[in-house]
Amino acid sequence: MELASSEYAVNTAYDELLNSDLQPRPTSRPLFDYLNSLDESELAARRHAVDATIMAMGITFTIYSESGNIDRAWPFDPIPRVMGRKEWEKIQAGLKQRLTALNLFINDLYNDQRIIKDGIFPAEVLEGSGNFRPQCVGITPRFGVWAHICGTDLVRDRDGTVYVLEDNLRVPSGVSYMLENRQIMKRIFPEVFRTTNILPIDDYPTQLYRTLAALSPRPGVQPVIAVLTPGIYNSAYFEHSYLAQQMGAYLVEGSDLVVGSDDVVYMKSIDGLERVDVIYRRIDDAFIDPEVFNPESVLGVKGLMRAWRNGKVGIANAPGAGVADDKVVYAFVPQIIRYYLDQDPILANVPSYLCMYDDQREYVLNNLDKLVVKPANESGGYGMIIGPRATPEERKQFAELIRANPRNYMAQPTLDLSTAPTLVDGKLAPRHLDLRPFVLQSDKLYATTGGLTRVAMRKGSLVVNSSQGGGSKDTWIVEEESL
Amino acid sequence: MLARAAENLYWMARYLERAENTARLINSTTHVLLDLPLGASFGWANLIVVAGLDNLFHKHYPEANEESIMRFLIEDNRNPSSILSCVQYARENTRTLREVLPAEMWERINSLYLYLKENASTACRSRRDRYMVLNNIIDQRHTIIGLVAGTMAQDIAFQIIKLGRNIERVDMTTRILDLNLAVQFPEDSVLHETLMERIWMSTLNTLSAYQTYRRMISMQVRRSEVINFLLDDMRFPRSVRHCLTEIESCFKLMPKSQQLQNLVAQLRLKIENRQTDDVSTVALHNYLDGIQSELAEIHDALTHRYFHTTHDGSQPTQSSQQTEIEFPKKH
Repeated sequence: MELASSEYAVNTAYDELLNSDLQPRPTSRPLFDYLNSLDESELAARRHAVDATIMAMGITFTIYSESGNIDRAWPFDPIPRVMGRKEWEKIQAGLKQRLTALNLFINDLYNDQRIIKDGIFPAEVLEGSGNFRPQCVGITPRFGVWAHICGTDLVRDRDGTVYVLEDNLRVPSGVSYMLENRQIMKRIFPEVFRTTNILPIDDYPTQLYRTLAALSPRPGVQPVIAVLTPGIYNSAYFEHSYLAQQMGAYLVEGSDLVVGSDDVVYMKSIDGLERVDVIYRRIDDAFIDPEVFNPESVLGVKGLMRAWRNGKVGIANAPGAGVADDKVVYAFVPQIIRYYLDQDPILANVPSYLCMYDDQREYVLNNLDKLVVKPANESGGYGMIIGPRATPEERKQFAELIRANPRNYMAQPTLDLSTAPTLVDGKLAPRHLDLRPFVLQSDKLYATTGGLTRVAMRKGSLVVNSSQGGGSKDTWIVEEESL
Repeated sequence: MLARAAENLYWMARYLERAENTARLINSTTHVLLDLPLGASFGWANLIVVAGLDNLFHKHYPEANEESIMRFLIEDNRNPSSILSCVQYARENTRTLREVLPAEMWERINSLYLYLKENASTACRSRRDRYMVLNNIIDQRHTIIGLVAGTMAQDIAFQIIKLGRNIERVDMTTRILDLNLAVQFPEDSVLHETLMERIWMSTLNTLSAYQTYRRMISMQVRRSEVINFLLDDMRFPRSVRHCLTEIESCFKLMPKSQQLQNLVAQLRLKIENRQTDDVSTVALHNYLDGIQSELAEIHDALTHRYFHTTHDGSQPTQSSQQTEIEFPKKH
């Protein structure tokens, strides 16, 4: 197994698997021993088997384009990303701390707003929030939890520090790919699982089921759980059907559900109407109930909010949870953690500049060539600018956008995202990556072991989103004692 | 079970059965054609007639020859009953059904689809490749049926799959019987005799029934006995009566099915009390037509009962992804 040495020679990023002398780190030593035992043709054959497996498993995602929607095979790199258990446990604790605080924060915003009254969180940030739902004011969902499923994006900078890049609290996706990546590795590289103690990840569907079941309004009765999908043309449809299958839940569309005059949600079964207790919705807030939100929505269910408000159905994530999924709110998370939990944040936030403040905006506008600027409410890497890679013309245009709507923008220094060896033309070349673990909360807290590693397959690229040319890797959390 | 999912499942089972049946029909027809004397008029065009697709075919192809008919039946997406279309629809439906099916099901059907996409055009070009590809399709379908039989919980979803499969089978068996009646035989009586036997052998072959027939009925292939065997023999899994009994047993396990059970029993009696020995070709054709229209009635009734039930005053489900196709009607 050969390194693409010319690329590694100029790689300035932290590499997850190799130290600065380009030797395997202790946690990835067994992996490299294994890879070195495969000759070139063997590796090529495995690579081929991976592609065939992905095709046969039908692991796809959908890309929207003008010429119709295309189902693309999931781009997968067979070289895993490895992390030691000790480091992971610290991150895990940080993830749980963060979600706990964010849920207290959301519940506070929809009720007493103590954090605003105490002067920690500015009222004007809330006023400018696109995801605050006035329809949810006064509600306290079960356990006070709003965001039951959170996908947190982590990145590692040049000095090895892990940062939280964003908290996805609306309908985060990717967990099915995390699970399928492991399946592919087990099928194609079964030997390596004997030489390394890789912690299993497959309890996620059980934990998700448990998290959802705890929200049932009929405790003691086996709950009927449904995954609500926008339908087969949604880019994450694969994941919706995958999770429904793994949990033994129903996969439903809006048109399969009705809310009765008793405010109970029913699904249309072959035997008439059947009560639904918990809905794991994979539809954005704005579309879930045409009675309350977007009246044009055909994806949602009329009366769903009524049913939820009256405690007749559990909804995950709760409508309105997205208020904390906002890149401006993000900048306040360290204060939010200190305020509600009286603890120091375990995970670092990337230093952020908020364009709503005059002095910070001036700094951003004067340093656009050094910063990444993101809109507050977008996801998927859309609508942002990477200053150092943009043309002066593009920077000028973006400056206008910022001036026109300062509340909507925040900026961060460009991080030198860490790399990991990735199979490119038969050699291992450094490619930038991030990590999205998934965190669950209802009566209990849970975080995945590792997460979904997304990798920018293009040389030098920092964009890992699958809609924009990103791929993924299996993520191994390994037991150091066994090394 | 969700009404929309049930409908997708029902059609998935029918599409898969139809794809397999078409593959069998093509293979056994190829086989028999090689044996026929030159004077016989039995030709490829009968294949599109039996499927009730001749109008659609002539809309798209100027000439009905082996190649055009093969393309139409195997790989043409404009034909909703082509093997490729059926497998494609079955795959699309399976995508929406992963939570009610055994986990391997999606992979199997997806692999079948990928195989077919890769090989359909080769199959249309050469007879040798065609035989191999179609046989592979039949094999893969057997794997899928085995998966259902061996790993699936015998719940409502299982009953619906069985229902779809058996309804499609009755449809196919009656169509194939009818096909043979369309053959124009040469005047010469010796030739007539051999030809008749060949054709009926091909019919049995199409339904994988030849061996069973010879073992259980007779070494001689005679029209009236073949008809009786395919309509009424409970021991043969593709006979009309066997399929109807299966359908009845499915309904017995499904909710609110009394009216449906009655409809099937009525049709079953029509088989049991039939008078088809030594009747004219026209009379037999009419009889088979009658079975087909009662079958269509059962299909409509079950669709109405389970899939398009009106719930609580709301509108019947209008699923945008419905990829169902009609029974291709004969004329």
